[in-house]
Amino acid sequence: MSTKQTYRDEFPETARAIRYLLAAAFVSVGVAGLFGMLQALFRTDYLRFFSNSDYYTILTAHGVMMAYFFTIFSLVAIFAWAVTRSLDRPFPNPKFTMGWVWLMIFGAVLTLITIFGKWIPGLPLKADVLYTFYAPMKASPTFYLGLALFVVGSWLAGYDYFRTWWSWKQDNPDERIPLQTFMALTTMLMWYLSSLGVAIEVLVLLLPWSIGIVKDVNPLLTRSLFWYTGHAIVYFWLLPAYLLWYTVLPKLSGGRLFSDPLARVVFVLFLLLSTPVGFHHQYLDPGISQGFKFVTMTTTMFIVLPSLVTAFTVVASMEHGARQRGGKGYLSWLRALPWEKPEFSAMALAGLMFAAGGFSGMINAGMNIDYRVHNTIWIPGHFHLTVGTAVGLTLMGASYWLIPQLTGKRLRLTKLAMVQPYLWFVGMTFMSNAMHRAGLTGDPRRTADPTYQDVSFHGIVGSMGEMRMQIALGGVLLFVSLLLFLAVITRTWLGERDGDIRVNGVIPPALSGPEDGPRVLDNLWLWMGIAILLVIIVYAIPFAGLIGQSGLFGSSPGVVPGWILSFG
Amino acid sequence: MDIHRYEKIWIGISLLFVLGLIATVTYGAVGAGVKTIGNQGGTVNPNDLQNTPFGNPGVRKVGPNHYAVYVVARQFYYQPGTGKPITVPAGSDVTFYVTSADVIHGFEVVDTNINSMAIPGEVSKFTVHFDKPAKYGIICNEYCGVGHGSMQGRLNVVPQSQFNLTEANQ
Amino acid sequence: MSTEDVAEVQPGSVESPAETAGLDDGIEREIDHDEFDPIGTVILIGMYMLILIIMWTLMYFVEFLGHGPSIIG
Repeated sequence: MSTKQTYRDEFPETARAIRYLLAAAFVSVGVAGLFGMLQALFRTDYLRFFSNSDYYTILTAHGVMMAYFFTIFSLVAIFAWAVTRSLDRPFPNPKFTMGWVWLMIFGAVLTLITIFGKWIPGLPLKADVLYTFYAPMKASPTFYLGLALFVVGSWLAGYDYFRTWWSWKQDNPDERIPLQTFMALTTMLMWYLSSLGVAIEVLVLLLPWSIGIVKDVNPLLTRSLFWYTGHAIVYFWLLPAYLLWYTVLPKLSGGRLFSDPLARVVFVLFLLLSTPVGFHHQYLDPGISQGFKFVTMTTTMFIVLPSLVTAFTVVASMEHGARQRGGKGYLSWLRALPWEKPEFSAMALAGLMFAAGGFSGMINAGMNIDYRVHNTIWIPGHFHLTVGTAVGLTLMGASYWLIPQLTGKRLRLTKLAMVQPYLWFVGMTFMSNAMHRAGLTGDPRRTADPTYQDVSFHGIVGSMGEMRMQIALGGVLLFVSLLLFLAVITRTWLGERDGDIRVNGVIPPALSGPEDGPRVLDNLWLWMGIAILLVIIVYAIPFAGLIGQSGLFGSSPGVVPGWILSFG
Repeated sequence: MDIHRYEKIWIGISLLFVLGLIATVTYGAVGAGVKTIGNQGGTVNPNDLQNTPFGNPGVRKVGPNHYAVYVVARQFYYQPGTGKPITVPAGSDVTFYVTSADVIHGFEVVDTNINSMAIPGEVSKFTVHFDKPAKYGIICNEYCGVGHGSMQGRLNVVPQSQFNLTEANQ
Repeated sequence: MSTEDVAEVQPGSVESPAETAGLDDGIEREIDHDEFDPIGTVILIGMYMLILIIMWTLMYFVEFLGHGPSIIG
């Protein structure tokens, strides 16, 4: 009988909060995943049993549940685990913690009810606006309110991380910040800075407009405020995955983190660069000058750098583990890695897929080459590799390793778990490669039925029919993989606590520890100050210009909700 | 700071690579001459397009070999473009002025590098040189409501000799 | 002394082999900081950089610049 305590034993109340968050995350990914498959089959015309209008409701729900709820519920949970574990102390006030957990859940439910309100007779709520909710398309006020509450909850989560760290700092005044806490804090600082855009957009402009207090909003301004947050948010999703790749994946590989200081440098770079890049989502927008777009093109290209550094550090850590496990040779050490362990294979495959996704991201960042791909289905092809796999699959792998530690129950249905990451990888390869190729033909994204009387698309490598087939096939395989994941997690969660979780939660120290890096890296206020400065330099003049051009409240035309004009 | 020699080299290579990306994109702009849509189009009142050039959308001749096309994107068609194709002559420069009368739309000329947003209140102004005769399709690539998937148009580049400005606007 | 990342347990040293079977992350030997040169990583990441350069060049100069007409002003 193991004498080692699990995380649940050591931090029962924080573990409870984390379990609630992860449960919310898993419900989100499950429902949204089903919708994703239905979209894939509808768009490719393999299975259509609802209307075009319903497609857009489903697409809205898919985007909101995947891009906001699955990711952010998961990441605040991962950070909660990482901070308390690395500081070796729980959050000080369990009631406060459960307070923001419930706030996030409540906000999410409110938004979802609004989206599904279209299908609920008698409920006059709707939000067929997709997860980007561009004005002048208007959703019911509860859509915006729910999202606002959800985001505020995430801010409060950060408060828990910071104050736990502060109290640890009183007791450990000369210590370097433990790496996992450092990562959580720098990410939250980045989030505080970057979420301002969408917070202002929603609370000052869209919510009052939706309620009717404000008559008009400026569509370009609201869109720009959205993308001020919208790019940084992908790093909010990504950095928790990086935390897992830097601090857990080396251990799963049988090794140690290659360099703690470089990991800190990478996270500092993301704090500095994540936000002043947003215009690269608006290269094709009128009303924003080429000069500002060029500036954000360069900042965006620079943000490739910390990811390239991450690739080296993480792979080197994996190589260390493989060689400690007996691997030899220039490349055959790869075989010594624990590919049969789903927590490992999921993260390794996620990292591999991210290498491809990073490339398509570089293309997207290219101010002029973006003409080829903007708003085509290449874009979803890209982000299903990055948030869909690098983040999503990593979270699934981490769950296999964490859920036992959080619940005190060992993993069940391990054979299904073993297969699940590979199935995801294959499914995503089919779907995403076809989306990229189809995008290059001009095939649009966000479209229920992309067939046109007057327009046809021509593939260079492969035919449209073959690309459609791969998208449909990939979508189905991904959903099956998701079902496997949910089956494993559910069976595990409902299993007996029989004492032996069969997980070794110990993380060995890095090969090159924090003491090998300069203390200034831990100076969070310095980096936050520079981050704020960069945002002002890049954004102040353009935003002043946008407001000066068409006013804070613009003159958007009378709103015509799309669903009124039914095309049947 | 203690960085392994191999990783130092990698960081150097990565930095060069990133600079190479920036250099390529800059070359595309100043060398190959592909310009990014900017704010030269100015603003317009989407509630009052009647009293702007967009009140009479279509093709105009503005120079010896230079045409202007005013396009209004609406839910769920282009004026001109849908029904009647936008017609311009080969061998000319065409400046497009694109705006929206309602929500945000896209304006994508399929199989070309011509791709723009259409945002109410803003005018997207961009110039293209059409070398050869061709027939292009236009689609809306930004979700604009339930009819989004059928929002389409056509752009015809006809031989100089066949181009008639009056016919193009009928 | 940092409270984080301390290797509390050497495989097999505190708990019995039966308890740690499968839990020792499969480590056969320990390699410390000065003994480790990630040559495999260099090869893999070198291949990746090569792919990036080739793909970028193809995409930019063939797929993009070769695909006019383009916006020139």
